[in-house]
Amino acid sequence: MSTPADLLEDLTDDVDAVFVFSPSSGFYEQFEESAIDVVVVAPENNVDAETYVELPLPFENVRDRIRFGIEGAMDRDIVDDGDEVACVVSIFGDDHDSLVRVRVDEAMHSGVYGLFANSRADPGVIRDVFEVVIELGKKGQKGKPVGALFVIGDAGKVMNKSRPLSYNPFEKSHVHVGDPIVNVMLKEFSRLDGAFVISDSGKIVSAYRYLEAGAEGVDIPKGLGTRHMAGAAITRATNATAIVLSESDGMVRAFKGGELILEIDPEDY
Amino acid sequence: MVLQSRVDLEGLLWSVPDRLWLALGVFLLAVVLGLLVVRVNAGLLRRAGLPETIEGTAFERTVRGIGTSTVAILSQLSGWFIVILGVIVAIAVAEPSYAEQFWSQTTGFLPSLFVAVLILIVGIVVGDKVELLFSERLRSVKLPQIGIVPTVAKYSVFYVAFVLAMDQIGVATFALVVLLALYALALVVFGAVAGKQMLSSAAAGLYLFLNEPYGIGDTVKIGAQRGVVQEIDVFVTHIEADGEEYVVPNDRVFEGGIVIIHEE
Repeated sequence: MSTPADLLEDLTDDVDAVFVFSPSSGFYEQFEESAIDVVVVAPENNVDAETYVELPLPFENVRDRIRFGIEGAMDRDIVDDGDEVACVVSIFGDDHDSLVRVRVDEAMHSGVYGLFANSRADPGVIRDVFEVVIELGKKGQKGKPVGALFVIGDAGKVMNKSRPLSYNPFEKSHVHVGDPIVNVMLKEFSRLDGAFVISDSGKIVSAYRYLEAGAEGVDIPKGLGTRHMAGAAITRATNATAIVLSESDGMVRAFKGGELILEIDPEDY
Repeated sequence: MVLQSRVDLEGLLWSVPDRLWLALGVFLLAVVLGLLVVRVNAGLLRRAGLPETIEGTAFERTVRGIGTSTVAILSQLSGWFIVILGVIVAIAVAEPSYAEQFWSQTTGFLPSLFVAVLILIVGIVVGDKVELLFSERLRSVKLPQIGIVPTVAKYSVFYVAFVLAMDQIGVATFALVVLLALYALALVVFGAVAGKQMLSSAAAGLYLFLNEPYGIGDTVKIGAQRGVVQEIDVFVTHIEADGEEYVVPNDRVFEGGIVIIHEE
């Protein structure tokens, strides 16, 4: 005889930690007295939790969200390989409506946490670029889908492994991603070919760059075009991170070390 | 009977001297003007975005607590000023001899008092705002002692406002001004001594920002360090070579010059 309560008990049976995603302070207090570790994964630590993983993007895909939280916790040795954790997340709406049991495994390490936390560029810069790209993917250029390629971090090396396609509109300008004017500027310039190069601190170094890094041995999923190939190749040759907006399917993909790390649909945000 | 009382009233009205009518007129005019000024001032302050600017300051919160707002206080202050001035003028018109003895000093004093109160309020609001701005700026600095900086900035502004206000109403403030000057001098001297390197770096950084003799991606040699420029900010330039990133203060650019390497 299995009741829903039994089912829940099976799921929560000797877990090593509980991951609570974006809790309100009232919700978090219920966990505070429990004996097991509680890890809060949220955009901001507004419950003053001891163990806290910052969520830079509100990943709409729950797998990505959980993966990010667990990788962040693994990175800080809060949980280890083989631990069982219970994740309390919200899938529909804002309230917590689901409990997911996950076995922490080195194999599930996709690098999505490292994409933000362990990149050369500041996590905030990568998050800002993601926001710009998602916005660009949602709205497109005058209603038409648009493609774009952003190379973030290690700008000196990236500049030396690329050449200009035209004069650089960002020459002698000092705009940073996250400045309010930038969204409009990038939208205009995304009509043109080539990559945007962004420095570690978020300064937009150049547009219209033709990336010349060799693509030998770069392994990305079949069906992705030259823009993705160029993005993947430059991240293999340098310590940069590439964020690509696909013109054909409208997806945003992030590459690091020549590998596809994260794939999100801008329409979800 | 009715006629009788009307005559009485008329007689009473006629018996009032013209001077008093004039005084009443002045008083009413002052009240109307004061109300008008309150309305116009409140509108102007709101239009200028004052409520948004001072949102969250301690002063605004306190006056909200007693059921008013900074905008209301400031605009009513100007209204009261005009009304009080009107009253004094009215009294002067009605009883010139009496007024000259007593009010001449007060009339001279009143604008100063008004300005002093205004300075005090503005000083308090600005001080609160400065504290808020500083603490927002320093929020990312995880150092408990850093909390003193916004507080010091706030009380500095308060102090200046206080001295100005006291000076307005004619209290001897010489000692306070000397204290202020000493404080400012100490700030400048310490700032100059401690931040000499920073200042010269910032000056050099300004030049680098405006003229961009080298950009990100160029190979340069600054002093003994040679590498690819990764980042330029106001104070330092990051150059990287073989996985080693040098953070070079910008004043070195002027001290030793730079070599821009075009070809290997």
